[in-house]
Amino acid sequence: MFRLTIEKALNHIINVNNIDIAPIDNKVISLGVDDIDLSLFFLCLNSRIFVIDNGQNKKTDVEIRMNKASFLSLFKGIPLEDLIEKEDIEINGSIKTAQNLADLLASSSIDIEELVSQYTGDIVAHQVGRSLNQIKNISLSNDGSIIDNLKEELTTILIAPSRAKIFKGRAS
Amino acid sequence: MEKTTHFGYKQVDVEKKQGLVKGVFDSVAGKYDLMNDVMSMGTHRLWKNYTIASSNVKEGDHVLDIAGGTGDLAIKFRKKVGPSGKVILSDINDSMLHEGRKNLINHGVIDVEFVQANAESLPFEDNTFDCVSIAFGLRNVTHKDAALKQMHRVLKKGGTLLILEFSKVENQMLEKAYDFYSFNLIPKFGEYFANDEDSYQYLAESIRKHPDQETLKTMVHDAGFEFCEYHNLTGGIVALHKAVKT
Repeated sequence: MFRLTIEKALNHIINVNNIDIAPIDNKVISLGVDDIDLSLFFLCLNSRIFVIDNGQNKKTDVEIRMNKASFLSLFKGIPLEDLIEKEDIEINGSIKTAQNLADLLASSSIDIEELVSQYTGDIVAHQVGRSLNQIKNISLSNDGSIIDNLKEELTTILIAPSRAKIFKGRAS
Repeated sequence: MEKTTHFGYKQVDVEKKQGLVKGVFDSVAGKYDLMNDVMSMGTHRLWKNYTIASSNVKEGDHVLDIAGGTGDLAIKFRKKVGPSGKVILSDINDSMLHEGRKNLINHGVIDVEFVQANAESLPFEDNTFDCVSIAFGLRNVTHKDAALKQMHRVLKKGGTLLILEFSKVENQMLEKAYDFYSFNLIPKFGEYFANDEDSYQYLAESIRKHPDQETLKTMVHDAGFEFCEYHNLTGGIVALHKAVKT
């Protein structure tokens, strides 16, 4: 659900704001958050972004490594250069490509703190739905009826594989 | 090339399987949606909603729904792609296409194209679609590897493949309960609601003969796709495989 939420939010932002992602077209960007054991691969193709759990040993154009605090800061719009300056982030590859992704993440309006807390198991199950408020509001204004969108989000919450249980013991 | 293949638990001549599967779907077409609701207790709707949510389809996209049957996915894709997009519902079985056409009209959806086609030889140009989906259809295809290669061929670069299919249950306790349900109750439901026990016995058997999650993932890779991942739904009773053409 974590990956799917980010993928949906990014693509929504790209579509609604007509963002040209040509600068990162055909790029594979790996993003690792060390202290929560999170690894995501961002693949940009066909004017959309795919967020994939496992890069399956694919060659990446840019590799970004950071800690949880920096990851949260990225979504809050803290400039990438500030994080690099503080040595809170490590980038191997094109800084420009990393900057493009960072800009997209910052504009995605995801309640990332709550999403990460689900991932790490910091919250109890009945709170799960709250983190989708932001993305739900976005999607409600975009496609289909309210009922259809609610059904879609409820489906995701009810049956999507959750990692919260796996990481329950690691909550910080 | 192998001369026999499985049809449920039976070994049959390769060239006969397609006709046998056709017989099953000719028989169940009229009660297909009702039986899906009965057998899955409505959960198939959630599985399909999750598939749509994972599709990464956007306005203006071209979508091919293979083995689209009564059109559940096509209706949802149609809403996603908007007036500038295009959805094609294909099925090898004319009875299922007939039911699909009726169902779409009942839902007020008239702008979906219907194509009777074999998944192993799709009648579309290379690099045509942004998304190709097949829900509960792949296990009935005789040459799955050929069908997957065709799906890869007709997808554009950056196109998404979605395979929603019954799979291998992860939990042993759930597996036992599921086996009991599949082999004892589902055929009875088939007899009661659709007057056809044999077709639903085939359903239960064909699920067990279908490749498990990891095997199918390898097959998808072998067909040329990359970044293939699967998500087990309802404990692995069903799995959604998603892959990208790069």
